[in-house]
Amino acid sequence: MSNNTSLGTLFKNGIFGENPVFRLALSLCPAVAVTSGVKNGFLMGIAVLFVMTMTNVTVSLLRNFINPKVRIPSYVFITATWVTVIDQVMSAYQRDVYKQMGLYIMLIVAFAIILSRAEMFASKNKLLPSFVDGVGMGLGFTLALMLLGVFREFLGKGSLWGAHILPVKPLLIMIMPTGGFFAMGLMMGWLNWIDRRFFGGAGASSGGH
Amino acid sequence: MKDMIKITLPLVAIFVVAGIIMSVTYQHTYPVRFQAEKKEKEEALKEMAPDATDPINPAGTWTANNKPYEYYLATSGGKPMAYIASTAGKGYSSYIQMLVSLDTDLKIKDVKILDMNETPGLGDQVLEQSFLDQFKGKSLSQIVLIKGETKENIQAVSGATYSSRGVTNGVKDAVQTLVDKYGAGVKTAAQEVTK
Repeated sequence: MSNNTSLGTLFKNGIFGENPVFRLALSLCPAVAVTSGVKNGFLMGIAVLFVMTMTNVTVSLLRNFINPKVRIPSYVFITATWVTVIDQVMSAYQRDVYKQMGLYIMLIVAFAIILSRAEMFASKNKLLPSFVDGVGMGLGFTLALMLLGVFREFLGKGSLWGAHILPVKPLLIMIMPTGGFFAMGLMMGWLNWIDRRFFGGAGASSGGH
Repeated sequence: MKDMIKITLPLVAIFVVAGIIMSVTYQHTYPVRFQAEKKEKEEALKEMAPDATDPINPAGTWTANNKPYEYYLATSGGKPMAYIASTAGKGYSSYIQMLVSLDTDLKIKDVKILDMNETPGLGDQVLEQSFLDQFKGKSLSQIVLIKGETKENIQAVSGATYSSRGVTNGVKDAVQTLVDKYGAGVKTAAQEVTK
């Protein structure tokens, strides 16, 4: 029973408490690069969710086998393997999805968040918690990217998921790379403010004050 | 020495197993992917000339941006229905890969973007049908990019001038090539009609 609640907490932790983008401040590069639209953010998030879960599970299974002195090359190679396998299978059997997501999948190999979860969590935990951590962190990443996507696409293009809502483009700069940094800063500050004001949190763990 | 082996062996084992997994995946997915890509290309060509019933085969190659591109003659029962060329134009951040098809009277029938890597949200607006539809029915001399309202020529998408220019240049090169290759044939066909 206590095991169940801890798994639930672990899951929520990835989405709220230690959200990869807004709390751990990891993988900010793709978070700025692909969030010019909600759809892009969503697709990137789902791709990360898959790779992260697979990597976490593999690292957890091999945690007693991998020598700590060469753990980083081992983790990177495991990630690269899963990325390659997913890329190949998808490009053969899911052409339509691949056309939308193919661009993002290969980039995932170098994501800090994947390596960080393998190092910080999966290498020290059993299979099931590692799996839950991967799914939770992946969902947290997806939600963060979609939130940024909603903010930027709505302000920059006046649309959501490609559907035009406003007849004008209120703030074109928001969909440019510059706007990505603005959006990221504003969003992070806003979430920290909410956290501190209503939940008594201490703000982002790595963002400082 | 013993330590070295203890560290290296598991790493090598991981690399070998991962390598095997990847090569097996490749082996199994390659034929499927190859077929799917071939089919997609055929379907894309078919869409460019829906009224051609014969299979569309490459008629030759031409050069754009120092790269070879194919052109095709679409026929129905041996009678020419459309001229198609694959082409590319340099946009803001990528070469925009396209297919262009011409009617037998050398007016643009259709323009289709196959692949590009322009700025999401700005340059990728050239994918919108309202921009591409402007090309339909235009002849070679009309393919000029204009910033501002135009019915006669091609109107650039605001905020995506470089990408619009890329598409326009790519289309223009392709049309020029097709006119050079097939224009003479069309003239004789027209003369036959007047006789």
